[in-house]
Amino acid sequence: MTSDVTLYHWEPNANSGKPMLTLVEKGVPFNSHYIDLLAFDQHKPDYLAINPMGTIPAMTHGGRLMNESTAIMEYVEEAFPGPALMPADAVDRWRVRWWMKFFDQWLGPSLSMLGWNVGIGPKVRERDPEELKAAIERIPLPERRIAWRKAIYGLFSEEELAESRRRILIGIELTERTLGEREWLACESYSLADINAFNSAYFLPLSQSEHCNDELTPNIMRWLRAIYARPAVKTTWAMGRTKMAERIKIFEGQEVDDKW
Amino acid sequence: MVMTLFHGEPTGPSLTVLAALFESGLEADLKPIDLTRAERHGGIVPLNLEARYSVEGEGPVLVVDGEALSDSVFIGCFLDDAAPGCGLRPTDPYARWEMMAWCRWMIERLAPGAAALANLAWTTPGLAALNESVFEALIAPIEAQDLRERWIATRAGALPDDQRAASEARVHEAAKKIEDRLSDREWIMGDFSLADLESYSWVAPMRDLVPAAFEGKPRLAAWLARVEARPSVQRALAQARTAAPAHGFAPGPEINRWG
Repeated sequence: MTSDVTLYHWEPNANSGKPMLTLVEKGVPFNSHYIDLLAFDQHKPDYLAINPMGTIPAMTHGGRLMNESTAIMEYVEEAFPGPALMPADAVDRWRVRWWMKFFDQWLGPSLSMLGWNVGIGPKVRERDPEELKAAIERIPLPERRIAWRKAIYGLFSEEELAESRRRILIGIELTERTLGEREWLACESYSLADINAFNSAYFLPLSQSEHCNDELTPNIMRWLRAIYARPAVKTTWAMGRTKMAERIKIFEGQEVDDKW
Repeated sequence: MVMTLFHGEPTGPSLTVLAALFESGLEADLKPIDLTRAERHGGIVPLNLEARYSVEGEGPVLVVDGEALSDSVFIGCFLDDAAPGCGLRPTDPYARWEMMAWCRWMIERLAPGAAALANLAWTTPGLAALNESVFEALIAPIEAQDLRERWIATRAGALPDDQRAASEARVHEAAKKIEDRLSDREWIMGDFSLADLESYSWVAPMRDLVPAAFEGKPRLAAWLARVEARPSVQRALAQARTAAPAHGFAPGPEINRWG
């Protein structure tokens, strides 16, 4: 595909999935450049030459680099034609931004902490210890180095994990309450907030099955299914290469092994 | 559109939103509240779920036709959306991306540390002097448990050494970031924008607490004076009700749990 937009991304999940699904919903053709997060491709010289921060996702448009997934989403919405993914009303627009931040900064870190602790961390630790050490040393941002060290070696205390579990339950409760009041997360139309939140929430019926299900959270389930029904979601999740992306198949009623 | 702004002393997020409101030219009823005594939760402000769980912590609340808007950067975006052309945000999508990424660094990286240092220096003594039961009654209505815990930690003056060091390092980093950015321009985005207000409101109070971060940075010093001289900022500063308005901090965004 020839396009002046290139997206550097990992799986359709959490941060990478946000600009992926936004671009697909908007109908913007883009060159997809898969970066293997678990092989630490994002900290290797080839990629650092493109994005010196060594974070994914990143997007280039006409030679200009952008990072920070949520800020990229707003850029895609404003820079390209296609269906509107931001409401027209100024208060509704504020609410879209508020919910994206809630997922990015309050709920997201708790979900990723448990995800790394249970799912990704143990898989990464099967690697050669020296290789892992070298991979951490290559991380350019000091705060990311600290976070990756914790994630790779599973250095989360019981208190931290308990706090993350507590927050996930509250996040589920607040999201359920909100979706009981309106059809979509931030306003009466599908928006960037739904795209953002879906990327962190689509696997909750799996990883939090006793707290997020048809009986306890019917509104979250209705909302997740409505987003899954969108053709853009199928296209986006087909770009996944690992079992992680297959978790979306719970909405087809399929059994899924990897819960995180 | 009927708007009421519940704001604290003109420092931190309250300064950002007051000045942004004046830049927008929109009219709002101004209602000063004592954020340092948790008045936001005292029944005066019509809080909604979003204001109760605001990532910014104890910031101002702009009530628009009955709905409570929180988080200073997003309130600034709202004012720009409601008064297009007021100049709070650039109009080019790439410049807007750049501004949002800049502001995000300020709120996620600088603000938690700056708020922690400011609270410890200026808010802890007043809270510590309160009778236990009086303090308990102030924070009892706070729904978000992590915010309530930040109040308790603030009253106790609890800031571990590693977090204090990291917070001071953030102030140094922010000061350098601004000094570097201004090498070819007068304002963060070229033209004046919300990015100047958000950065100023967190950085300026740090002059008293981390003075070393400001040494040998002439462009930063000139920019601080330039922002302060704007009529909107002057008018915001004139809303002060105490002798040291810059010290009016209350628990802010939490320090990143991932380190």
